Amino acid sequence: MVFLREGICPGATAQLIQSLKEQNVVTLVHLVSADIEDLAQKCSISYKMLVAVRRVLLAQFSPFPSNGAVLYEELLGSTAILSTGNQKLDSLLDSGLYTGELTEFVGASGCGKTQVCLSLAVNISCELKQKVLYIDSTGGLTASRLLQLIQNQVDSIEGQSEALQRIEVVSVFEVYRLLDALQDLRMSFIRQVTGARNSIKAVVIDSVSAVLSSILGGHQLEGMSLMMQLARELKTMARELGVAVVPTRVSAEFDITSCGTLSNQTASSQHSTRERSDT
Amino acid sequence: MVYTCIPLLHCLELGISKEEALEVLQIVRREASGEESQRSVGLPSVRKYTALELLEQEHAQGSIITFCSALDEILGGGVPIGKIVEICGAPGVGKTQLSIQLVVDTQIPECFGGLDGESVYIDTEGSFIVDRVMDVAHAAVQHCHLIAEAGQDEVQLEAAQAFSVSSILSRIYYFRCHDYVELLAQSHLLADFLAEHPKVRIVVIDSIAFPFRHNLEDLSLRTRLLNGLAQQLIGMANDHGVAVVLTNQMTTRFGPVQSTLVPALGESWGHAATIRLILRWEGKLR
Repeated sequence: MVFLREGICPGATAQLIQSLKEQNVVTLVHLVSADIEDLAQKCSISYKMLVAVRRVLLAQFSPFPSNGAVLYEELLGSTAILSTGNQKLDSLLDSGLYTGELTEFVGASGCGKTQVCLSLAVNISCELKQKVLYIDSTGGLTASRLLQLIQNQVDSIEGQSEALQRIEVVSVFEVYRLLDALQDLRMSFIRQVTGARNSIKAVVIDSVSAVLSSILGGHQLEGMSLMMQLARELKTMARELGVAVVPTRVSAEFDITSCGTLSNQTASSQHSTRERSDT
Repeated sequence: MVYTCIPLLHCLELGISKEEALEVLQIVRREASGEESQRSVGLPSVRKYTALELLEQEHAQGSIITFCSALDEILGGGVPIGKIVEICGAPGVGKTQLSIQLVVDTQIPECFGGLDGESVYIDTEGSFIVDRVMDVAHAAVQHCHLIAEAGQDEVQLEAAQAFSVSSILSRIYYFRCHDYVELLAQSHLLADFLAEHPKVRIVVIDSIAFPFRHNLEDLSLRTRLLNGLAQQLIGMANDHGVAVVLTNQMTTRFGPVQSTLVPALGESWGHAATIRLILRWEGKLR
């Protein structure tokens, strides 16, 4: 929703905006759908002026179609593929994690989701030398385990501490804090002055269900809306910031008689879910 | 408290540019955090640590020994601070005894390898018998005295003098909860309690299964309550630097051929605990 304001385009003076407001033309949509002649008479602004302003605004704010080839080129240029460090997993994921996409790991308890996340983070930090943001909501992250994994890949102490410094950890145990953390990440990306070299390339969230499961189900309606908001936030973040987002989720099989199961409701509608097979 | 998630697109509704919207958001956040710091019990905003800083923190925090070397080895030195440990087992295997031992072990002075902390014991079954606690405390005190006398270190001797059965008992905070409502209420109050008593290093809930298995027909409600409780507990463990120990009961899972004993409270509860200890009998050994 674009509101008309002074300076939105070269011809839009304060006087123009004010007189348009008096006629209830507040947003761009109103301006475009209004009858210009009628408006010109009522506002006592010249017809030519209004037409010019409208044309400039339309050119500025309307989307224009691009063809598939252009999109493909754009995608090729902006997407990076991050290897997970595990060959079998890489082949399953079509050579690795794609930035700009959500990859979700689902599994029963104890099947190894946290371990996969940890080794992912370690691989991106050690091999690819990129920054990772690890959002932990279960308490399953111990830095000593990270160090163990890093020690398998890097021998020198400086290398190990550098790798540890590239992994940023945020602990949140509540859905609002999680949304806050994601918001912080977005803001830090926007405020960045330097190039993409020091920015975060992957966001791992372990696990999404821990913060959502207590608010879903039953007669609570906010739970669903928070879940959808979280999903949208993750998707837009992945797309806009060009990071690979990896949430994990618990899959629980319940009897049909109990309602409000998590396995029926997916946190993101367009994601690639890979069921972890026994290795 | 301002937990707002204002998408930046909304800034355009006010008729301001993106940069101005960012500034507004920053000011709002600063105001919010300024308000919070004025209150006595303020929630910290989202903090980011690098893994290196986290490693240093973990090394500094230490763990609570159990006085059983096999268990300590499995746990990597003892019950870790900031995590949830769940002890499951059949009746009579020793869950309550282990919790009582941990509650006493937390109070061992630092010079003997303990944490010199206070303990919180939340009892839902009524199995906390003070005489038994006195026995355990007595044994711990004896142990420390022996070490002090063998080592003849000044600091140790002093600490051993101060470490007595009555001092141990006076630093165990005991709460009795009769049903799940009381338990949930207690967990809400616990955050404030921990803020007022910063020396607490362990919270034991014995047992967490009992109030949730009786008089609670709605299973989905049970799952939601348990998950919410788990998140609260891990949040508290993280924020206040305490170890949380829960005792769980066992239930039978009916398989196609044979039935197995599994921890109670369901699959989704399995994710709550960071570490799960399952104790069982093997002949006469546990």
